[in-house]
Amino acid sequence: MAKHRYAYFPGCVTSGSAREVQDAMDGIARILDIELLPLNGASCCGAGVMKQANAKLQISLNARTFAMAEAEGLDVLTPCASCQGNMVEDFVSLTDDEQLREEVNEQLEKICGLRFEGTMRMRHLLQVLVEDIGLDVLADKLLNPIDFPVAGYYGAPMQQEGACGDDDAYDPQYFEQVIEVLGGAPVEYEGRTQSVGFPSLLSEEESAMKMTAAVLTEAKKEGAKIMATACPLSHLNLDVYQVEAARVSGQDTDLPVIHLPELVAWALGHDKSRLAQLRTRVLVMGD
Amino acid sequence: MAAVVKVWIDEGCITCDACEDTFPEVFHVTDDTCFIRAEARVDGGYDENRDSKSAVTSEFAAQLEIIEEAADECPVDVIIIAVETEGGEAEPAEESAAEAEEIEPTVVGEAEAPAAAEPVASAASGGLEELMQGERDLLLLIGSQSGNSEAVAADAAKAAPTYGLTARIKMMDEIAIGDLVGVRRVIIICSTWGEGDMPDTAEDLWQAASSSAAPKLPGTSFGVCSLGDTAYEFYCQSGKDWDGWFEKAGATRLLDRIDCDLDYEETSPPWIAEALAHVAAVDEAGNFHADALDDLRALAGPEESSRVAAGAAFDIPQLTQAERQATVRVFRYDPVTGESGHDVWQCALPAHMSVLETLRLLKGTQDGSLTFRDGAPDDPTTGLLVNGRLVLPGRVSISQFARGDEGALNLRIDPLPAYDVIRDLAVDHDSYQRHLAASRPWFRGATRDGAQLDQGVMGMMDAPTAANLHAAQDIASNQLLHSASDTVPHNREYIGPAVLSRLWNRSQDPRISDAGRAALLAVIQGADGVKAEADISSVNRQGRMGAVASANLYAAKRATLQEQHFTGRHGAHVWFFTQTVKLSGTLNETVLAGGTLKMGMLRNLYRGILPRMLLGFTRTGGPIMRDKQSFLIGAGIPVSIGKMPKLVNSPVEDHHEVVALYNAMDGRF
Repeated sequence: MAKHRYAYFPGCVTSGSAREVQDAMDGIARILDIELLPLNGASCCGAGVMKQANAKLQISLNARTFAMAEAEGLDVLTPCASCQGNMVEDFVSLTDDEQLREEVNEQLEKICGLRFEGTMRMRHLLQVLVEDIGLDVLADKLLNPIDFPVAGYYGAPMQQEGACGDDDAYDPQYFEQVIEVLGGAPVEYEGRTQSVGFPSLLSEEESAMKMTAAVLTEAKKEGAKIMATACPLSHLNLDVYQVEAARVSGQDTDLPVIHLPELVAWALGHDKSRLAQLRTRVLVMGD
Repeated sequence: MAAVVKVWIDEGCITCDACEDTFPEVFHVTDDTCFIRAEARVDGGYDENRDSKSAVTSEFAAQLEIIEEAADECPVDVIIIAVETEGGEAEPAEESAAEAEEIEPTVVGEAEAPAAAEPVASAASGGLEELMQGERDLLLLIGSQSGNSEAVAADAAKAAPTYGLTARIKMMDEIAIGDLVGVRRVIIICSTWGEGDMPDTAEDLWQAASSSAAPKLPGTSFGVCSLGDTAYEFYCQSGKDWDGWFEKAGATRLLDRIDCDLDYEETSPPWIAEALAHVAAVDEAGNFHADALDDLRALAGPEESSRVAAGAAFDIPQLTQAERQATVRVFRYDPVTGESGHDVWQCALPAHMSVLETLRLLKGTQDGSLTFRDGAPDDPTTGLLVNGRLVLPGRVSISQFARGDEGALNLRIDPLPAYDVIRDLAVDHDSYQRHLAASRPWFRGATRDGAQLDQGVMGMMDAPTAANLHAAQDIASNQLLHSASDTVPHNREYIGPAVLSRLWNRSQDPRISDAGRAALLAVIQGADGVKAEADISSVNRQGRMGAVASANLYAAKRATLQEQHFTGRHGAHVWFFTQTVKLSGTLNETVLAGGTLKMGMLRNLYRGILPRMLLGFTRTGGPIMRDKQSFLIGAGIPVSIGKMPKLVNSPVEDHHEVVALYNAMDGRF
C-alpha cells in the first residue's frame, strides 16, 4: 500500500484542456508514493459559477463528492486551487448550517444512498506536499533543480481561512517553500494571491485581462523568469490569454506559465524533455 | 440529642461518580450533576437538594459516616453536609455550634474548620493566609470583537490583587490551546459576533479547541462571562460554547456562567466580583475552598465591591507582551516628485502594539513626514493593507502578523489597493464615495401599518427579519470592503462590493417602497453593478467582512440573472456552465465557450487566442502535436492540439444521480 492515500479530485479542466496537469500528477504520485484513488462519480465543483445560478445545487453536488470520499475514509486531494476554495466554502456551509445539511442529506440518501458527515477534509496538492509529504522528502527526491527565479501563483479562491491548510491565507509561504526546496528562487510579489478573473473570462473579459496583466507584469517586475500556478483554471488566463492581456492593458506580459504539478514533477525527474524545453525557453529566448 | 442531617450538592459537580460508588442509596450521578435520591430525602424530592435543603431520612442519617466518606471522596468538594440538632441548632462538630437562624454548611474534609465561637474574620484570616501562599495566577482569557470584553477584563484585572490574585490578560489569538494545560484559574470573557459566531480573535483558538487533539484540563477551575445582544437569535452563543467546552475538557466550573446583554456594564461587575472570589478560593494545588468564599468576599470590602460594581473609572491596565524584533516596511509616495518605494525600519517593538500605534511611533520618533490616516481604533477610514490583509490598523496588534510563536515580525504596510494614493499610506476615498453618491442609496419607505407603542405609533418588523438584515450589514468599514474586490482597481466604473452590498440589503428591507426597491435594483443590475464583479472569491476571502459581503453579492447576482432570464454574456455563461455540468457531470469547456461567446469565438481567431491554444505548449516546451483531435473537427470550433478542451465529455459514473440532484434542487436546468 502506498504511504499516502487520497481520494483524487482532478477538477474538470485537468480532465479537459489542462491534461498536462494529469501527466504531472501521475509522475508526482509515482515518485512520492502517493495513491490517488479516483472518485469516478464525482461531478464538477461548480467553480463559483454554478453558485450564481443556485447555491444549493452546487452545495448538493459537492456534498455528494464529499460523501463519496467519506465512504472511502479518505481526504480529498485536488491540484486545482479553484476547486479547493469552492469546495471548502461548501464544506463549511454544510457543517455550519444544520438545516441545510439535513436538507441536502435527505436528497443524498434518497438519490445516492450516501450521507455527508463532515469527516473528510479538502486538501490541495500544495498543502499535501508541505504538510503531509514534507519538504525534506522533496529535497531528497530532487533530481533536476529548477535553477531560475519562479513566481508562485496561488490565486484568490484557495487563499481564505480554512482552505489553505496551515499556511497564512494573506501572506502565504507554502509555494515559496516548495520552489526553494526544488532549487528555484521564489519571487515575492503582491499579485500572487490576487484574482485573474477566471470566473468572468467569458463575460467580463476586459476586467479579467487587466487583472491577468497586473499579476504577470508584477511578477516579471520582481524578477520572475517563469510563473507556476496552483490553479489550472487561472492558467488559462495567464497563459492562453497572455497576449490578449498585453493588448488590453498595454503592458508586457510575456512570461512562461506552467502548473505547480509540472514544476514539482519535472524537478523530481518526471518528463525530463519538458523541463529541458522550458529551460531553453527561459534561458535562450528570454522575455 | 438526635441530629437532623442535611446533604446537598453545590455547583461545580464534575459527575465523577465517586459519591455514587461510595453510597449509591443516597447519591445518583446524572449526566450533568449529582442528585440526592428521593428515597433518602424526607421531602421525597429528587434533585441536588440545593434549594430545599431537605433532611435525609433517619435511616440514612444514622449512616452519616458513609455520607461523610462520600463527601471526602468528592474531588471538587461540592457535597455539603449540615448536621443540626432537633432544637434547630447545629450540632457542634468539635466544640461549638453554628448560629441558630441559619445552618452554616460545612464542607466535609474541612470539617475541623474553626468553630463559630471564634471571630470569623480572624479565623478566616489564618486560613486565607495559607490559601494565599504559592502560585496565585489568574488568566483572564478574552475573545473580543469590539473591545467590550477587554473593558470587562480590565475591571477584573484591576480588582484581582484585592483577592490576592495576579491577573494576566490574554486575547484568545495570543495563546495556543495547549497553553491552557496547567492553568489553575481562568475567567473567560467572550463576546458573540453575528449569528452566534466567535469573534475574530477567538476563532482560531475555538477551531483548535474543537479538534480531537485538544487537551483535557482536569486541574483547571473556570468561570465564563458571555457578552451578547438579545436582538440576535444565538444570544451569547460563543460564551455558551466555551462554557460547554471547558466542562467537557474536565475543568471545574466554579460558578454559573453569566450572559450579559448590551447593558453588560451594569450586569457584569457583580458577577466579576463573585467570580474573583471563587477563583481566589482555589489553592495552589487546584482545590476549591468553599468555606473561604465569604472571607474572600469580605476582603474586597463594600468600597471595592461598589467601585467594581459601579464600573468606576480607573486606568485600564495595559495588555502587554514582550518586545520582539520587528522589520517594518512602509510604502512611501511623494506626490511632488512622483517617487515611490518602501522605507524599512528595524526595531524592537512590544508585540501587543497595534499597527496604528506602530505607525504613530515611527512618525513620532523616526520620520515626521510619514503620512497615514489616523483615528480611533474602529475608524472605518483608517484601513490599510498589512501583509496582504485588509485591516483597520487600530484593531490589530502586530503580533498577529508573526509567523509562529517565536517567529520574526515582518510587517509590510501598504495603502489600500482600490484608491489613488495621496501621500504614503493616505488614500483618497473618492472612488468609493463617488459611486455611493451616484447610486442614490437612500431609503424610500413604503406606507405601512404601525403598531401603537408607549412611544407612539411605530413601524414594526419581526425579529428574525431584523436580525438577518442587521447581520447582512455587519461591515466594519465600507472603505475597506470597497478595496476587497480585485476587480475594483481595474474597472473604475464598477461600483464595488461595498456599495453593492449596501444597496442589496436596502432593497431587501421589507419596509422599502416598490419605487425605492426598483431604483436600487436598477443600479445593482446595471452594467456597472454586480455583473461587473469579475471574481467574488476575492471579496469572500477577506474574513468575516468579506463573507458577509460575498453572500450579498451572490444573492444579488442570482436575482439579477434570474430576472434577466439568463440573457447576455453573463446569463449565458452561468446558464451554459450549469447546463453542461448536468449533461455529463463535468464541465465541457467547448460547450461553455461556444454557448457564451457564440460568434465572439471568431474574434478569438484573429486575436491569437485560438491559434495559441491550437499550438499548445510552445511556451512551456510541450509537444505541439498533442493528439489527433484537431483533425476530427471543423473550423470555428475549439480544437485540440495542445491546450484544447474535449468536444464531448464522457458522463461520470452514476451520472443519473447528478441529474436527479439537479431535478430535485433546480428544475430550470
